[in-house]
Amino acid sequence: MNMYRPGRLVCRWLLLLILVATTAGADQTLHVPATPGSGSGASLVIHGALDLPQMRPLLAGFHREHPDLEVRYRNLTTLALHERFMAAPDEADVLLSSAMPWQYRLANAGHARSLESSAARRWPAWARWRHELFAITFEPIVMVVNEAVIERFGEVRGHADLLVLLERHAETLKDRVVTYDPATSGAGYTYAIEESRLSPRYWDLVAALGQAEAELVETTGEMLDGLIEGRYLVGYNLLGSYARDRLADQPQLRIVVPEDYALVTQRLALIPRQAPHPAAAERFLDYLIGETGQAVLARETTLGAIHPALEGPGTATSLRQERGEALRPITLGPGLLATLDDLKREALLTRWQREFSRREAR
Amino acid sequence: MKRGDSLYRRLLGWLLLPLLVLGSLILIQAWVDAQRTADRAFDRLLEAASLAIAEQVQWQDDRLWLDLPPAALDMLATDAEERVFYSLVDGQGRLITGNADLPGDPRQSLGGADTLLYRHLDWQGLSLRQGIRRTRLEDWRVREPFEVRVAHSREGRDALAAELWRANLAMILAMAALATVGLLLAIRAALTPLTRLRRAIRARDPRTLAPLELSLPRELAELRDTVNELLARMRRVRANQERFIGDASHQLRTPLAGLSARAELALRQDDPARWKEALVAMQATSARTARLAVQLLSLTRLANPEYRPDLVPLELNAIARQAVRDHWASCHRQGVDLGVETTGGEVWIPGLDWLLAEAIGNLIDNACRYGGRRVTVRVEDGPPRLVVEDDGPGIPESRRLLMLRPFHRDRDDAEGSGLGLAIVDGIARTHGARLQLSSGHDGRGLRVALQFPGEAP
Repeated sequence: MNMYRPGRLVCRWLLLLILVATTAGADQTLHVPATPGSGSGASLVIHGALDLPQMRPLLAGFHREHPDLEVRYRNLTTLALHERFMAAPDEADVLLSSAMPWQYRLANAGHARSLESSAARRWPAWARWRHELFAITFEPIVMVVNEAVIERFGEVRGHADLLVLLERHAETLKDRVVTYDPATSGAGYTYAIEESRLSPRYWDLVAALGQAEAELVETTGEMLDGLIEGRYLVGYNLLGSYARDRLADQPQLRIVVPEDYALVTQRLALIPRQAPHPAAAERFLDYLIGETGQAVLARETTLGAIHPALEGPGTATSLRQERGEALRPITLGPGLLATLDDLKREALLTRWQREFSRREAR
Repeated sequence: MKRGDSLYRRLLGWLLLPLLVLGSLILIQAWVDAQRTADRAFDRLLEAASLAIAEQVQWQDDRLWLDLPPAALDMLATDAEERVFYSLVDGQGRLITGNADLPGDPRQSLGGADTLLYRHLDWQGLSLRQGIRRTRLEDWRVREPFEVRVAHSREGRDALAAELWRANLAMILAMAALATVGLLLAIRAALTPLTRLRRAIRARDPRTLAPLELSLPRELAELRDTVNELLARMRRVRANQERFIGDASHQLRTPLAGLSARAELALRQDDPARWKEALVAMQATSARTARLAVQLLSLTRLANPEYRPDLVPLELNAIARQAVRDHWASCHRQGVDLGVETTGGEVWIPGLDWLLAEAIGNLIDNACRYGGRRVTVRVEDGPPRLVVEDDGPGIPESRRLLMLRPFHRDRDDAEGSGLGLAIVDGIARTHGARLQLSSGHDGRGLRVALQFPGEAP
């Protein structure tokens, strides 16, 4: 044991150095080499739409469990990830993406490999599709409200409050509200289509946003930047996981998980049918949906763990206890295919645009 | 005797085999039915989804337009999490929208009617069930035809079909088990009388020939009656044999007793002339006894149904002439006129010459012995026939059959053995010939004819 310890420590340091070193590159990749002398030297290629700070602890945890595997992670945007897969379906072993409809379409068309492990069988049915597509995170879509607004106009607890706030104080909040542009952001479009299904009053909210001449941006990051800088007072439909991460030291900004309904988006993982290293891929996916990986997810990231055995901060269980029925995870089902329908998209965006400019025109 | 060849097994085999075939057919039928039922149930989903989509198709910006309802796709997937595909295709077959370019309805256009086609589809390695709705826009001006094609994978259907089939399977298996048990009991019950019959036969005293008294079902009663008939025949045969043996021993005892008495009488005498006289008489008696023994022997042999000598072609005229030559001297001594009548041509029959000579000899002997003064041996042709006719007193018609029985004599006669006609009868049977007794010429005397079968070869 005594002989062994220093060696392991050196390994850790090496690993950390490599992690740091590789993130510096413009091409966002992580490389975790196999611990020397650990045998097989098999490798694993992961393509994901998950930022490196969130991914790093996950990979470190995986390396602790499977030191014999060399892991290469490439961070891509959801769109690039999808296109890259369609161009070269035998490149990656695991696809990890928050673009649920695209991931679903791949699995639906039979591009995914079935994972038949005990962890896969125990995984809650609502968080997987067949044994091919697994939701591994639990990320509520939230509002971010500046405390100043709350002080002036009262609590904003849900969509109804927001609607009232926007309608009553459209002039005050003019240009100070920010949300996704569904026309340019895939995530924004997905939320729009889900919300329009959930509540007919969504269109009133869109109209109210239009009335307040809300800024339309492409990413949660942009919204957070503007909110932190104080350009915006209210952010609508932000990815909760990123907001929690960035706003930990911003007491003037309050994250609101809406009480009436809160969409929950999930990152979906699948193993492509033509994965070059399917055995390694299965080990990684097993780790992701296993208690260890999920515990890392809950403890060291803000992504939210799904595993039903886990409790406490950063888990779906605790969030459910808090918000209960209001949480609406996006259903993993064929309905997602409608999201990707070109005509549907055109129809929804046309409607959205019409509603958004409804009151403006008056 | 072999274990494999038992009535029980045979019945069981022949009843179980059709049962098995029938059962298999029912199982196949149940499987087909289950699939059909599952398809019918799940086809409703295709129908509803395609309708929900078709209702959303509009004419907008000079083209077909669809605001796809997500619920329409959701309803295509059940708990089995089927893969779902859909597409909207215009009248020219161009894909308007959809997640898969599914093949279309191969049927010819059926006008404007709203039609729905279900079919199985193997598409890109997936086994799918497809529903194609062909319809058209019901707009005031635009009546554009279009097709909504939806499809989903078969997991839900297969699961339902398997479930239905398993339910049927349990019932069919239970029925099969009941039928088998019933069959076993029925066969056992049906074969019980056979066991009783076997036991009844086994339990019998082996020496008894008494009929079986046992109530049995019709098929076995026939068998029992047949066995009883056989037993009755055996009883008669045994009675005949016993009488024959009795008669034969009686016949042999009388001359032996005579020999013994004659010897005893001679021994009391001292005159050698008397001794010689006695010896002569004893020689005649022993010769007659020897002949009797020979006759008994040949009768026994002829009476044996197993006795099948090899017959050779014989010329009847020659046989008849030879027999007359052999017997002419003795007849002449007794003052009997023995003659022969032969046919012009040759008459061939299959036979044994010594047996036929024996028969003719017996008949001539009989004729001489019972008062014939004129005996004729005649050969007739077509059918071949050997006739011995005399002018003696003859035998009344009512007693002619009796004469064929061994040791039956028409009147007391120390010389005759009573075997003559019985032996001739046996010889006739050996040759497959018929023995006919009738009155002779002018209704006098006796005419004995052996009619041989068919023409000589």
